[in-house]
Amino acid sequence: MPGRVRKVPLKNPDRPYLALGLEGSANKFGAGVIKHFEDGATSVLSNVRHTYITPPGEGFQPRDTALHHREWALKIIKECLVKAEVSMHDLDCICYTKGPGMGGPLQSVALVARTLSLLFDKPLVGVNHCVGHIEMGREITGAQNPIVLYVSGGNTQVIAYSRQCYRIFGETLDIAIGNCLDRFARVIDLSNDPAPGYNIEQEAKKGKRLVPLPYTTKGMDVSFSGILTSIEAYTLDKRFRSDGLPRNPNDEDIITPADLCYSLQETIYAMLVEITERAMAHIGSKEVLIVGGVGSNERLQEMMGIMAHERGGKVFATDERFCIDNGIMIAHAGLLSFRMGFETPLSKSTCTQRFRTDEVYVSWRA
Amino acid sequence: MASSSLALISTSTLISQGAEAKVYKAQLTSDQSEPPILLKHRFRKGYRHPTLDSSLTRARVAGEARALLKCSRSGVNVPGVRMVDSVEGVLGIEWIDGQSVRRLLPGGVEEEDDQSEDSEPEVVDLLKEYSISVDILMRLIGQEIAKMHLADVIHGDLTTSNMILRHPSSFKPRASALPTELVLIDFGLSYHSGLVEDKAVDLYVLERAFSSTHPDSEPLFETVLDAYEQHMGKAWAVISKRLEDVRLRGRKRSMVG
Repeated sequence: MPGRVRKVPLKNPDRPYLALGLEGSANKFGAGVIKHFEDGATSVLSNVRHTYITPPGEGFQPRDTALHHREWALKIIKECLVKAEVSMHDLDCICYTKGPGMGGPLQSVALVARTLSLLFDKPLVGVNHCVGHIEMGREITGAQNPIVLYVSGGNTQVIAYSRQCYRIFGETLDIAIGNCLDRFARVIDLSNDPAPGYNIEQEAKKGKRLVPLPYTTKGMDVSFSGILTSIEAYTLDKRFRSDGLPRNPNDEDIITPADLCYSLQETIYAMLVEITERAMAHIGSKEVLIVGGVGSNERLQEMMGIMAHERGGKVFATDERFCIDNGIMIAHAGLLSFRMGFETPLSKSTCTQRFRTDEVYVSWRA
Repeated sequence: MASSSLALISTSTLISQGAEAKVYKAQLTSDQSEPPILLKHRFRKGYRHPTLDSSLTRARVAGEARALLKCSRSGVNVPGVRMVDSVEGVLGIEWIDGQSVRRLLPGGVEEEDDQSEDSEPEVVDLLKEYSISVDILMRLIGQEIAKMHLADVIHGDLTTSNMILRHPSSFKPRASALPTELVLIDFGLSYHSGLVEDKAVDLYVLERAFSSTHPDSEPLFETVLDAYEQHMGKAWAVISKRLEDVRLRGRKRSMVG
C-alpha cells in the first residue's frame, strides 16, 4: 500500500552465516547447506535429496517412509556436507521440518536433527514446511510480494503475505492436488519414478480428447475428491482402452489413458489458475509465485503465464530442485528466523502433522 | 461477423475488471433518455481449454441470470435482467444508482481507495444522504438475505461490497416507508439449495466479510441476524443451530500433509 512503507526488519549479518536444513515430511529426505553473506546475498552450497519410490500402483506408507528416512539420513547429510565443503562445526544452526507432514517421517528427521544438535552443540530451528517453500521461491526468483500458489502432494493453498503472516486466501476443501494426481496415476498403473505427476504430464502430451469432468471451484477454494472419483469411473467406461489402442480400424470413439491424463490436467490446473486469478484481483497483486512439487509442472506454469499476461502481471516459478521438497528451503527459512533471534529449545523440538501456514509469525519481512 | 452483444460492448464504457468478468455501462437503445444498463462480460480465458471455457461460461451466465430471475420473482431486491447472451458470455442487468454498503460503513472506504484518516466523518455524511440509520441498514440486509434464503437461493459470496443501497433520487417507492432499498448484486457464485447447511455457510461467509472489512462490527452483524431471524420465522431455529456449528468448524480447517 502506498504511503505505508515499512522497513525490512532483517539486518544484513555481521559475518557469513551457515545453516544445515533437514527435510523429510513426505517421501523425500533432503539435506542442504545455505550461506547468507554480509551483503545480504545468499548462496546454495549443496542440496541433496533421496526419494522413496514405491512400485506402480502403490503409495508410500508412513511406516516404510520413516524407515527409508532413517536408512538414508546419515548418508545424505554426509554427502551434503562434503559437497558444501563445510564441517558440522562451521554451522550456525540446524534447521528441521517441524510440520506439516506425515507423522512417522517427521519424527525420524526431528530425531536426527536433535541428535546432531546435541553432538555438535548447535542450536535447533524448527521450520514450517510451507513457509520454507515460499521463502525459497522468493529467494530464487526474486519475486517481491507475490500471490503464492502452493501446490504439492499434501497441500493446495493460495497464500498472500500481510502483516507478519502468510495468510491463506483459498485452499482445497478435501484432498490436495498432488494427492489427486498420485492416486490417479496408481489407478492407471503409471510409474512412481521419478514422480507420478511427472509421468501424468508426459502421458498428457499424447492426449487429444477432453472428457467432461466436474469443475469444482467454490469462491477461492477448490475440491478435488469428486474429480478423482469421476475420472476413475472413466476407466470402467466401455470406450476405455487401457492399452490406448483401437481394437479395429473402425474403433474410433475411444478413451485412452493419455486422454484421461490430458483431461485431468486441463481441468484441475484451470481451477487452480482461476482461484489464483481471483486472489490477484482481490488483493490487487500482479505477481504470482508457484511453489511445491506440482509447481514444476510445465503445463501449469504455462497456463499461469497466460493468465498473468492477460492481467499485465508476471509469473515466477522454480525448477524441480527447489519446487520439490528439499533441505535447502528449510535451511533458508530457518536461517532467516534464526537471524531474527528465533531458536527452538531442545525441550520444544517436537514435530506436528498439523501446522498451518498462517500460524507462523513472519518476523523477517516488512 | 461479430455478434450483436459484442458490438454493444464496443460502444460502451469499461467500468472495472474483476477476476471473472469485465463490467461495462451501456445504452441498450439509441434513445439517450433511457436508463443505462450494466453489462457483465465473461471474456474468454486464454489459459483454459476452449471447450471447457465455453461450457463453463455458458453455465455461469445462465446460472446467474436464473438466480436473478428466481430472486425477483420471490420479491428479493436484485437488479432486473435486461439481456442474456450465454454463448458470448454477456449478461445485461439493470443499472443501479447508489453506493455499496462497504463504503457506507466505517472501515470500508479506506480499504478500497487507500484514503486514510478522515474516512469516519465521510461515512456519516454518506448515510445521511440516504436518510436512514446504520441500524436500519443492517435490518434491511438481514431482511433481504432472509427473503433470498426463503426462495432457496444461496448467494455464495455475500460481502458488503455485493450489496448496494439505492440512491433516493432513483428510487420509486411502492409500499415502503423508507426512501431507499437494499439491492443484492453479483450472483456469479450463487446456486440453488434448500439445505440448512448451505444457508448457514452463506451467513458465516458474510460474518467473516464483516469482521475482516469493518473493524468492531460484531454488534452490527447481530442486528443483521436479528432481522434475518424475524423474517425467517420458524426456519431460523435450525439455521441458527447450524451456524454455531459452522463457526466452530471454521471454513479453514487444519490440513494434514
